[in-house]
Amino acid sequence: MKKYVLRFVYSFMFRWFLKIIVGVKFDKNDFLKDLDQFVIVANHNSHLDTITLLASLPSKILHKVKPIAAGDYFGRNWFTQNLSSFFINAVLIDRKGMKENPENAPIPRMISELEMGNSLILFPEGTRGEPEELKPFKRGIALVLAKKSEVPYVPAFMSGMGKNLPKGGVIPVPFNSYIKFGQPTLVDSDDTKQIISRIQNDILQLRTE
Amino acid sequence: MLDKIFNLDYFQNQELLQVIILIFGILVFASTLFYVVGKIKPNANLSELKSRTKSWWVMAVVFLIATMFSNKISFIALGFLSFVAFRELYSILDFRNDDRYAVFWAYVAIPIQYYLAYIGWYGAYIIFIPVIMFLLLPLRLVLRGETKGIIKSMASLHWIIMLSVFGISHLAYLLSLPELPGFGAGGRGLLLFLVFLTEINDVLQFIFGKLFGKHKIIPSISPNKTWEGFLGGIIFTTVIGYFLRFLIPLPVFEAVFVSFLIAFSGFSGDIVMSSIKRDIGVKDTSNAIPGHGGVLDRIDSLSYTAPVFFHMVYFLAY
Repeated sequence: MKKYVLRFVYSFMFRWFLKIIVGVKFDKNDFLKDLDQFVIVANHNSHLDTITLLASLPSKILHKVKPIAAGDYFGRNWFTQNLSSFFINAVLIDRKGMKENPENAPIPRMISELEMGNSLILFPEGTRGEPEELKPFKRGIALVLAKKSEVPYVPAFMSGMGKNLPKGGVIPVPFNSYIKFGQPTLVDSDDTKQIISRIQNDILQLRTE
Repeated sequence: MLDKIFNLDYFQNQELLQVIILIFGILVFASTLFYVVGKIKPNANLSELKSRTKSWWVMAVVFLIATMFSNKISFIALGFLSFVAFRELYSILDFRNDDRYAVFWAYVAIPIQYYLAYIGWYGAYIIFIPVIMFLLLPLRLVLRGETKGIIKSMASLHWIIMLSVFGISHLAYLLSLPELPGFGAGGRGLLLFLVFLTEINDVLQFIFGKLFGKHKIIPSISPNKTWEGFLGGIIFTTVIGYFLRFLIPLPVFEAVFVSFLIAFSGFSGDIVMSSIKRDIGVKDTSNAIPGHGGVLDRIDSLSYTAPVFFHMVYFLAY
């Protein structure tokens, strides 16, 4: 049931809304269908980012792709918690980390989601930045990829989303935007700094293309 | 019943039908020509011409569908055209982040402007953007409290809404003009005349420029604009206007003069948009239409010809 709701909401409703009203240009990403699992790593400037990423996925795999979202923001009350776990299909993690119940700590949560066979969408900037700016990455993504080195990451870059609906904005103000996907890549080192800078480069490269 | 949903003017009205057949005749001719030339000279670089022609097919069909159905659909379609053009301009013009609140109201103005055109309330339609939005949008910008760069935002915002919404909405108002006794083609005839002449003028200037172009008019703005293309376009557009004058309620001399004005203002709109693209350093405003660039690259001339043509006809015939 949820599978079909998600398909209708994202692959149909939001996709056309984003295309026609918001002015998002989607990128071909059929190669995602051929991957068992992946972690999409993208820049984050707007709430539209998650919606655009989900709307651009092939609808067949939509239900298996889970965005990682901040528990302290999206889980702040009963309503937003259920909304985000059903309609965004999100995994809510605690950005601060929880010493008292370690099973809820971000890194193990992400790894266990991957072990369940799901794919992830992750915004390594940790929060929405100013429009068109890329903040330094947090190292969580590197820790996850180093542990699950058989899962490739797919860099994605979105432009114009922060202009459409910036942090603090309520209504999107249409602005021509685009999303671009890079090639799936496997990490080949354990060094978190190296992984981070490599992913950052991949995303920046998509921006300049 | 069917008459209520479809507007069968095109098929019942001999005058409109002739022009439709002419348009598709030209398209068939162009496609065949490039196909044959491509076969004879496989080395000739025709890919741009081919993709342009293909896009012309799509645009012609979309335009006909948008104007063939009920009046409502024509207004919605033209309003959407304004919306996309406005969005393209807003996206490339480097507005400040604080401007989005005023820009939101500019977006809201689009359906209002087209509604005023739809109900044919001329007095409100003609002042809504040039007067009311002109006063309101700067106020909204001021309320944000950020003054750095505010005059640039005020000026650019009003300029883009005038060009993409006020200018283009004249196309829609043609459909709301009252019927004239003894003039069969009606608003649709006027719309078809204007759009066909504007676009054929663009195409003719392009063709004459490519074939005979030597002397540049304004190389600092557009290296492709030549005197040969300009004159060829103007002369032939005026001649075509003479033969298509059955679409507009004007006597011969006035029809020729209006056709000449369409050709001249189409050229003006084209170079005005080119200068802006040059200023901000982009070649096309987007890549929405293959071979043509953005929607704006296609309707830049229309945003000039529509008000000029509308007010000339309104003055002379209504």
